[in-house]
Parts: sequence; C-alpha cells; structure tokens
Amino acid sequence: MTRKLHLFMTSALASSVAFGAQAQDNSVTVVLSEELEIVEPCSSTKSNVGRVLFQNISETVTEMDPHTGLQPRLAESWEDKGNGTWRFTLRQGVTFSDGTDMRADDVAHSLVRMKSPDIACEIGAKFFGGIEITPNIIDEYTIDVTANPAQPILPMLMSTVTVTPSDTPLDRFVDHPIGTGPYTFDEYIRGQSITLTANPDYWGEQPTVQSATYVFRADSAVRSAMVAAGEADIAPNIALQDATDPAMDFSYPNSETVFLRIEHAQAPLNDVRVREALNLAVDREAFVGTILADGTLLATGITPPSTIGYDADLKPYPFDQDRARELLEEARADGVAVDTEITLIGRTNNFANVLETMEALLAMYQDVGFNMKLEMVEVAEWLERYAKPFPENRGPQLIEAQHDNANGDPVFSMYFKYHSEGQQSGLTDPVVDAMIADATAATGDKRAEKWSELFGYLHEESIADVMLFHMVGFSRVNERLDFTPSIRTNSELQLSQIQFN
Amino acid sequence: MLKFLGTRAITSAISLVGLVLLVFFLSRLTGDPTGLYLPLDASEESRNQFREIHGLNDPLLIQFFNYLGDLIRLDFGDSIRRSEPAIDVVLRGFGWTLQLAAVTMSLVVFFAVIVGSLAAFHVGGVFDRIATFFSLIGASAPDFWIAIIAIVIFSVNLGWVPTSGTGTVWHWVLPVSVLFIRPFGLILQIVRGSMITALSSAYVKTARAKGIKNRPIIFVHALRNALLPVITVIGDQAAALLNGAVVVESIFGFPGVGKLMIDSILQRDFTVVMAAIMVTATAIFVMNILIDIFYSILDPRIRY
Repeated sequence: MTRKLHLFMTSALASSVAFGAQAQDNSVTVVLSEELEIVEPCSSTKSNVGRVLFQNISETVTEMDPHTGLQPRLAESWEDKGNGTWRFTLRQGVTFSDGTDMRADDVAHSLVRMKSPDIACEIGAKFFGGIEITPNIIDEYTIDVTANPAQPILPMLMSTVTVTPSDTPLDRFVDHPIGTGPYTFDEYIRGQSITLTANPDYWGEQPTVQSATYVFRADSAVRSAMVAAGEADIAPNIALQDATDPAMDFSYPNSETVFLRIEHAQAPLNDVRVREALNLAVDREAFVGTILADGTLLATGITPPSTIGYDADLKPYPFDQDRARELLEEARADGVAVDTEITLIGRTNNFANVLETMEALLAMYQDVGFNMKLEMVEVAEWLERYAKPFPENRGPQLIEAQHDNANGDPVFSMYFKYHSEGQQSGLTDPVVDAMIADATAATGDKRAEKWSELFGYLHEESIADVMLFHMVGFSRVNERLDFTPSIRTNSELQLSQIQFN
Repeated sequence: MLKFLGTRAITSAISLVGLVLLVFFLSRLTGDPTGLYLPLDASEESRNQFREIHGLNDPLLIQFFNYLGDLIRLDFGDSIRRSEPAIDVVLRGFGWTLQLAAVTMSLVVFFAVIVGSLAAFHVGGVFDRIATFFSLIGASAPDFWIAIIAIVIFSVNLGWVPTSGTGTVWHWVLPVSVLFIRPFGLILQIVRGSMITALSSAYVKTARAKGIKNRPIIFVHALRNALLPVITVIGDQAAALLNGAVVVESIFGFPGVGKLMIDSILQRDFTVVMAAIMVTATAIFVMNILIDIFYSILDPRIRY
C-alpha cells in the first residue's frame, strides 16, 4: 500500500512539474474564450479569428497603429491619384509561406475575393459594403485601387485587407491559411488547439516568440486559472471577478462603447426634451467601480477617445433627476405622450454584469417618472430589433448596444449608426447625413475638425442616444512575458510584439 | 429476439423521423441566422448572398424536402459556422462525449454497486451512514461549482493535475471526477435500496442458513436480483451523459457534443443541430435496445 502511495505521489509530482512548465523557452500558449469557427484571413476582423491570424499569418496592405497612425505594412507607400484612385507601391522581397513571391496580382486577387459573392467575407461586408473596388495592376509591385464612391480614407481601409496568394479560391473558405506574416499556420486540431511557428523566411525581423499554441476554454475562471497554474501565458478577455492578481492582470480600454440607441421616430422619443431627460436620469458615475470595472470612462461619443476627432471637451450629462423631471413635465404640457411605455432592451451576455447594469438603468428611469419595462434578449432576437428593417408595431424602444471601434477613425462607426441609411441608425436627420458626408470626404486636420463637430452635434443638439461608458477589458499575462495588452488586444494579438522577461 | 430487435428498430426509426420533423421546424422558428454571421454593417446584398449560399432563401417546405433528399444520401449538409460537413463536426464531438461517458459510467457502476451493496449489508451502520451522506451530497451538488473549486484546489494550489484540456490521461482526472459525483450518488442510493429488499428476501435467508459466506451472498445471490432497477437508472444516467455534459465540457475544454449542440442552437447552425440530435438520438436508441437485451440476460423470466 505504501509503495502504491509513493508511486501515485511520484507520478502526481512528475505530472505537476510537466503541467507547470511552459511549453518551451521561446514558445507561448494563448488561451482563448472560443474556438475559431473558420481560419479564413478575409474574416480576420472577427476578434476570435483576428487574434490568431491577423498580422501573425496574414498581413495587411497598410497598418493602423493607435499611437502613430497609419503605417506601411505590405505597401511601402501610397498616393492619391484622384477620382477615387489610390496607388500603392508594394514591398519587394516578400514571400508567402508557400514560397511564392507576394506581388500586385495577389493584392488584386485579395480585393476581389473579399467581395466575392460566393463567400461571406467579414472584411468585405464590414468595411467595403456599398463600395465598388476596382484593382488595376500597374506592374509587379504597383497597384491602383479605385473606390466608387471615392473613399478619401482608402489607405486606412486597406489596413483591414489581408493579402492571400492569387490562387486562393474565390468560392470557398480556406482551412489552411497562407500568408506573408512572421508565422506559419502549422496545425489545427479541431476542438483542441492551433499551432503557429515562426516563419524563417519572413521579410521583417525574426520574432522572439518562435511558436505559439492557442487553446480554447469557454470559462473565464478556467482561463485565468490556466495562466496562474503556468499552463498558459496569455488569457485575453477575462472577467472582472477573475482579474484578482495585480502582478498578472492588466486592464485597458478595450475600444468598446456601451450606449442606449434611441429610435427618434417613435413618440415620445421624438421629443428632444425626453431624450435629454433620458440622459440626465442616469447616474453614470455610480456604475464605475461597482458593477463596472474601475477605469471605465464616461462616454460622450460612440467611439473611444483614441479615435480622431473625438471631442474631449464634451462633458457627459450630469446626474440631475430634478431637471429630468422638469423636462418631462414640460414635454407633457406640450402634449407629448411621455407616459407611453418604453421598452428598455438589453442583450444577454453582452458584457460582464450587463443584467445588473440594465436593472440599475431601469430603476433610475422609473425614479424620474418614465413608464419603462426591461427585456433582456439573446443575441439573435436583439439583432432583429437593433438592425433595419425594424419590427412593425415595436413602440418606443431604448436598445442597449456595445460598439467596437479600434480602427482610429469614426467613419467606421458614424455611417452605420447615425446616417439615415445606416443599418442600425435610429436617426433620419439630413443635417447629420451632410456632416457625415463632409467628414468622410475630408482629410488631415480638417477631417478631425469635422468629426468633432459631428460628435458635438449628436451629443448636445440632436441628443441622438444615451451615451454611457467606454469599457475596460482585462487580460492575464504570465509574468515571464514582457507584454502589455492594449486597446488592440480586443481584436488582434501580434505575437511578434511579445518579448520574454 | 430477432423479432423484438426488428420491432425496436422500426419504432426507433419512426421516432427518429418524428424528431427530424420536429427539430427542423422548431429550429427554423428561432429565426434567420444571417444576422448572426454577417457583421452588423453588412449590406442587404451581402445578406441575400449569404442566404443564397446556405439555401435559406427557399420557402421552408422546399428547404425541408431538400434536406430530406440530402439526408437519404446521408448528406447532412455543411455547418454554417464552420464551413465543413456538419456530420464531421458532430462525430468529432460525439467521439469525445462517448469516451467521457464510457469512462465515467464504468467507474460509477463499479463503485456504486460495491459501495451500495456494502451499505445495504450494513444498513444503519457507520459505513452506510457515511455512504448515504456523501451520495446525497454528490447527487445534489452543482457540478459547475465543484468543477471550479476542484480546479482551484487540485490544479492551481496543489498542481497535481492540469486545469483542463485533453492531452494526457491526467487531463481526464478532473472532468471524470466531477462527472462521476452525481450519477454515483444517485445509483448508489438505488443499489442500496434494491439490495436492502433483496437481502431480506427468503432465498438470501436460505443461503445464510446453508452457511454460505457473506461475499457470495451479496455479490452473487442478492446483487443479480437487485440489479434490474439499477440497470434502468444506469441507462437514464448514461443517456444524459451521451447528450453531452455541457457544463463539464465547457469548463474543462472537452470538445464534446453537448457544448457543440448548445453553441449550434445559439448560433442557429441548423445543420449541426440536426446532425447532433440525430447522432445522439440514434446512440440512445441503440443503448436502450442493449439495456433491454441485458435485462433478459439478468432475468431469464424476461423473454422477447
């Protein structure tokens, strides 16, 4: 019996050493919250796909850096040729992981493929919807790209375009992505793990991390436990309650903004006083450090403060219940149906403590006299109410939404959220439409100025929505790594930026 | 016996067809999956393309008959979410679930039968009280809580076993242990109750009077007669495990069919939902037939 016990303890000790050890000195293990449904570069703007593929396997034509702005990546330079056409000069000496050279025809093919009608590419649908893109190869390393309608920010849009070889099929997704990035896609054991290894022929500097394994665990507590136990090195996106170790846990603005979308066509929400009252009735500061994480910022606009044109001088609406009640009384006196029941709609599991947040909002609105009820719905039902065409006979609704913009420019948000034709817009305001068109067409400082004007108009004059919070994300990083998560960690995780302590 | 098997196969097939009908139309009632797969900002043109690719533009009845036509050729269709054959996705997950269920139920049956029999033999004694106490706790404790606590204690603090995953035999220790607790508690109680009745029966008294030792009395004479109700409960518990241990699969990163089914329902991945339900239903039908056969082996009075 004693011998058996010794044997068990020895085995247990040996196994604990094995589990505790990191894979190899220069390898990392990343534990993700969900498995990748596809490993398709043209869908790598999906956060779960992007964390594995984006800039690791598949590189983009340009690269948007939140700190330094738009940078070269596979294109060394670009220039505006007028009439919606931009000329991109590509980097020479770049090869794909299958050994072929990267040339202009690959970029042209990637642009055609992302708009292919036979596959639903995320990048094409998300960033190039309604835009006709025509590539024109000038020579092996020069390509003209024409957008119709003209896109003054086409070089920025090209920061989303992942380049794949010209023989990549147009009618189906790939299951073994080929790219020019610093890593090659080695193995995908479905349901279990993905392995990448450093690309020895990479055109740029060799990364310190020589291989990476991605595993998938749905539960945040398990992901954080894996890093604590030494089984994983990075756990992006853990829950607030699991971020308990200051030595390993990082909080950072995660580029998500939470707000209540108001559909202006429905009474009583068509009255600006009612919309102002909706803003004044919320004690935003009471949420921070209680049911939302410390560091959560109060929002005045739909994009995070790092986007160009964000107006830092705008002030969040104060918590003023008396003024909210006065505004409702004024509206009632003018015949506005302020007693109409408003449905407050929340999306289940949208962010940590979303239910508590929605219940607190409901209580605050009822306190000032709104006739309101709360409905929490799952994502599919939420989408049917949030995006056009809106349901018939829906009545007045406030819909909680969380919007992600880590790209640095409000154009990615403003059209869809506020333009009359925008898929999720609750507004039909020609002034806003014109301002969006102006800002979209502008460049440089003028562009920032015009976006600022739009932020101000939406916040103070139109009172378009109830802006709530710029959210904070948490990631756990093993102390052996020299890596600080940032706003981009929400959608990508560039292994080449990781060093070891 | 052959007639019985034939009848059971036919009734199972009829049930399966009913299930296909029910699940096909119920799953479609949940709505259009397009919005879940395309970005919020996708144009109507992109949405229509997506529906066309996945055959969602046709009227529902046409979709159903197309599906049946494919099914006859054993083509379950492609997963919307994963762009690979739905049956491949399901069988991959079902393999893991089957292994997990087989290992867990083998251990459960082995230990529950031994401990339950001994508890019944010493009914009211210390062993019986301890076994009853722990089995009741096991049958009622929430497995998600046990799983998280087990990870914190045995993986993070003691470092004895990995937190999760499937790489080595040690990766199976925690998930199997957590899955073990509830059916063990339940089956132990059934064995105990059934054995108390069996041990007080006349043939056991006769065996004792003939001087037969305790071990053969318990495990040969009484147990065989006490096992019929136990087999029924084992079947129920095994069926529950074959449906997938969703919580345990989620927490321990086991890529089984239970989590796959829940994810597919939430993602409106209709082809995978259909394939998963058909595969698990078929497995449960087969298991039920095996249990019926086992009844007749245990009790010669049962003949089909």
